[in-house]
Amino acid sequence: MSFISLDNISFSYSDIESGQPYKNAVDGVSLNIEKGEFVALLGHNGCGKSTVAKHLNAMLLPDKGKVYVDGDDTSDENKTYDIREKVGLVLQNPDNQLVASVVEEDVAFGPENLGIPPKEIRQRVDDALKAVDMYDYREHAPFKLSGGQKQRIAIAGILAMQPQCIVLDEPTAMLDPNGRDEVMTTLLKLNREKNMTVVLITHYMEEAVLADRVVVMDAGKILTQGTPEDVFSQAELLKKHRLDVPQATELAYRLRGCGVKFDKLPLNAEQCVKMLEEVLS
Amino acid sequence: MVRDVAFGQYFPANSVIHKCDPRAKLIMLVGFLVIIFCTFNYASLALVVLFTALFVAASKVPAKFYFKSMKVIIFIIIVTSILNVFYGSGDPLVQWGIFKITLNGINRAIFVSVRIICLILASSCLTFTTSPTELTDAIERLMKPLAKLHFPVHEIAMMMSLALRFVPTLLEETDKITQAQKARGADMESGNIIQRVKAFIPILIPLFVSAFRRAYELATAMECRCYRGGTGRTRMKTIHMAKRDYVSFVMVALLIGGVILCNIFLPAAV
Amino acid sequence: MSKVLELKNLSYVYGTGTPFEKTAVNNLSLSIEKGEFIGIMGHTGSGKSTLVQMLNGLMKPTSGQVLLDGEDIWANPKDIRKIRFKVGMVFQYPEYQLFEETVAKDIAFGPTNMGKSGAELEKAVNDAARFTGLKDELLEKSPFDLSGGEKRRAAIAGVIAMNPEVLVLDEPTAGLDPMGRDVLLSQIVQYHKERKNTVILVSHSMEDIARVADKIIVMNKSNLVMFDKTKEVFSKGRELEKIGLRVPQITKIMLELREKGFNVPEGILTVDEAMDCISSLLDKEGKIW
Repeated sequence: MSFISLDNISFSYSDIESGQPYKNAVDGVSLNIEKGEFVALLGHNGCGKSTVAKHLNAMLLPDKGKVYVDGDDTSDENKTYDIREKVGLVLQNPDNQLVASVVEEDVAFGPENLGIPPKEIRQRVDDALKAVDMYDYREHAPFKLSGGQKQRIAIAGILAMQPQCIVLDEPTAMLDPNGRDEVMTTLLKLNREKNMTVVLITHYMEEAVLADRVVVMDAGKILTQGTPEDVFSQAELLKKHRLDVPQATELAYRLRGCGVKFDKLPLNAEQCVKMLEEVLS
Repeated sequence: MVRDVAFGQYFPANSVIHKCDPRAKLIMLVGFLVIIFCTFNYASLALVVLFTALFVAASKVPAKFYFKSMKVIIFIIIVTSILNVFYGSGDPLVQWGIFKITLNGINRAIFVSVRIICLILASSCLTFTTSPTELTDAIERLMKPLAKLHFPVHEIAMMMSLALRFVPTLLEETDKITQAQKARGADMESGNIIQRVKAFIPILIPLFVSAFRRAYELATAMECRCYRGGTGRTRMKTIHMAKRDYVSFVMVALLIGGVILCNIFLPAAV
Repeated sequence: MSKVLELKNLSYVYGTGTPFEKTAVNNLSLSIEKGEFIGIMGHTGSGKSTLVQMLNGLMKPTSGQVLLDGEDIWANPKDIRKIRFKVGMVFQYPEYQLFEETVAKDIAFGPTNMGKSGAELEKAVNDAARFTGLKDELLEKSPFDLSGGEKRRAAIAGVIAMNPEVLVLDEPTAGLDPMGRDVLLSQIVQYHKERKNTVILVSHSMEDIARVADKIIVMNKSNLVMFDKTKEVFSKGRELEKIGLRVPQITKIMLELREKGFNVPEGILTVDEAMDCISSLLDKEGKIW
C-alpha cells in the first residue's frame, strides 16, 4: 500500500449561517503518494488543491471516500495525532504559523506538544535548524527575519516532529524570488538527501518542474498527472485551463508545431538552449 | 515609528541574568518594584540606583537598548517632575505669582523621576534577558497551585506568550494600513476630537479583520503541530533554581533590609 | 511630451544620527514623462519601496526634491494630502485596507476625501469598478465577502477612483495565481491605454514587467543602476544577473544562444518574438516546412 492514499474523496465546505453545503471543493479525487516521492500539486486558486492538502494530515476529513496515511484511516480519532506527527503541514503565511518570539523556541513547539523529553527536543531542534540552514539564527526573533528565512523556520518546526512526509500549502506565494529559491533549495535537499516525502502545493510552474511527479487539479478534480515532462508537454490542455507552461517548454512546443523535431520538450532554460543549439547547427 | 519601541523585546546574550531562573527574576522584580517606592531619603534612593545599575551592567545588554526603552516614557518623566516641582510644600525658594518652587518640591521631582527611571530599567532588564516563552513559563509555574482550583493557568500563559509574539507583527501591520489609508487621503492630523477618533475607523477595522484572520491561521498551524492543551506537554528549556538564583535573592533581601534601615535611622527627604 | 515627475538628487536615510542609520535611497535623479508605463525592479531591501513612498509624500526625503508637474511636492507641507490624490499608491496586499460596509463605499473613500460627492462621486466609483472588472452586483456586497482576487481588485479600484495623474502599484500581482495575474495585468494595461495616465509598476516578476513596461528603473543597494527602455535593460541580461535579478526565461535562452554565436537579437522579451527569430533562422536553413 502507498504511504498516503486518497480513495475517491469528496469534500464540500458549508455556509456558516445556513449550514448549506457549497459546491464540492474536492470532487472524487484518488491519489497515491509513495515514500520518498516529491509531488507537486498544481492548479488555480479555488481548484481544491489546498483542501486536498488539509486531508493529508487529518485537518479535514472527507465527506465521501477514505484517506489512509501509513495504513491508518484519517477518520479514526484515536489516530489523529499520530497522523499529524507523520505528516507535517506548512502553511502559506510564515508570520501566522510561528508561535514563539525566539526561533529555537518556536521549532521546539511541535516536539513539546508530543511530550518528548527535554534533551531529545534540544537535539531535534538543533538538527532541524541545521537541515534548513538556520542554525546560526536560533536565538533571533523571527519577526526580524526575511520571508524566506521565516518559512524555513516553519519547515524546521515541522521537521522537529520527525515526520515522514511534509506537505506545504503554497509556501512560496508570499515570498520574493530569493525567498522562493531558499525554500525550494531546502525542500529539494530534504527530499534528495534525507529521503523526505514532499508534497508541494504551488501555482508556480518553475517550482513544479523540479518535482518527480506533477498533479494538476482543476475544479476539484485531477486534470492530469505524470512526470513534469509528460504534464508540460500537454501545453494545449494546460493553456485551455489558463495554466502557465514554462517559456522554454512553450517555445519548443510551438516550434514542434512548425515541424521542428524534438524528441522531448525542455523544462528549463539550459535544456532548451541545448536542444535549440542542436537544431540550429 | 511604532516599530522603534524597544520596551518588551528580548535580547539574547550570555549573561548571569540571562541564565537566572525566570521565576526568580520575576519574584525579584516584584520585590524590587515595591522597594523602589519605599525610598524616602537619598541614602535609600542611592541604594536602589546602585542595584539597578548593577543588574543593568550584569545583563550584558548594550546600553543603547536601555536608552531606547527610556525614550518612550521620557515625556511622562518630564511632566511628572515639573508638576512635582510646583506642588511642593514649605518655604518657597523662588516664587512667581501662584507658582512657587520649594526645596521639598525639588526633592519630590528628583525622587519621582529617579524612581520611574529605575522602574523602567529594572523591568526592561527582565524583558531583555528573558524570552517571552520563558517569562510565560515562569508565570505558568508560579500560578500552578491555582490550577487545582480549575483556573486555566496553562491557557492563560499560552495566550500571553502568543500575544507577546504578535505585538511586533500587529504594530507593523498598523503602520502599513495607516500608510495605505493615508495614500487614499485619510486625514489623521486635523479636525476636532470626534473627527480624529472617526479617522481611526479605517485603520481599526482592517486591523481587527486581519488579527482574526491571523488567529484563525495560527490555530490551524498549532493544530498541525499537534497542540492539544497543556496536558502531556514537555518543555525544551527546563527551569530550575540554581546557586546564582539564591545569591540574587540574598542580594535583593539585603537591598530591602538596607532601604528599611535607611528609612528608620535617617530623616525622610520627601 | 512633458515631464510629470522629476526626482532631483533624492536621498532617504533611516534613523539619522543613531547607530541604526541606514541609507535606503542614495542620491537618485531621474524624470518620468507623462503617460509612460514604468517598471521598477530590484531586490527586497534595494530601496524601491522607499523610493515609491517618496513619490506621493508618504515619506519625506532626507535630501533632494520630488517635482510633480514641475512643482516641489514639499513646497507647502500642509498640502501634502493633495499630492496623494495626484500620485495614487497601491500597496502590496492592498486587500488588507478594505474597511467599509460595501465595496462601493470603500472605493468611494478616496474620492470622498478629495471632496467629491453626488453624480461625480458615483461616476468615479463606477469607472474605477469597470477598469478593475468588478461586476455591478459586487458593489453592494461587503468587501469581506469577496474572493481573494476580487478583494484585490476592489482595493485597486479604491485608488484608481481618485483618478491620479500617476498610479503607483507595488507588487499588485503578489500571491495571485497565473490566471488572476494575467487578468489583473491586462486590466492595468487597459487602464493605462484609456486614461493615458502615468503608471509605475513595482514587481519582482520580470515576466510581468517585460510584458507591460515601456521603461524600467533598476535599483540595487539603494542606488539607481539602470533607467532605460525595457528592451535595452533586458539586453543587459548578464549585468542584471550580476546584481541577482533574474531575466525572463525566454530572454535568458535567447541571450545564451547569442553568446554561443547564433544570429539572434538582444533583449527578446516574449515567446512570440523568440518564435519569429528562431523560425526565420530555421527558414534560411530550410529546416522548417
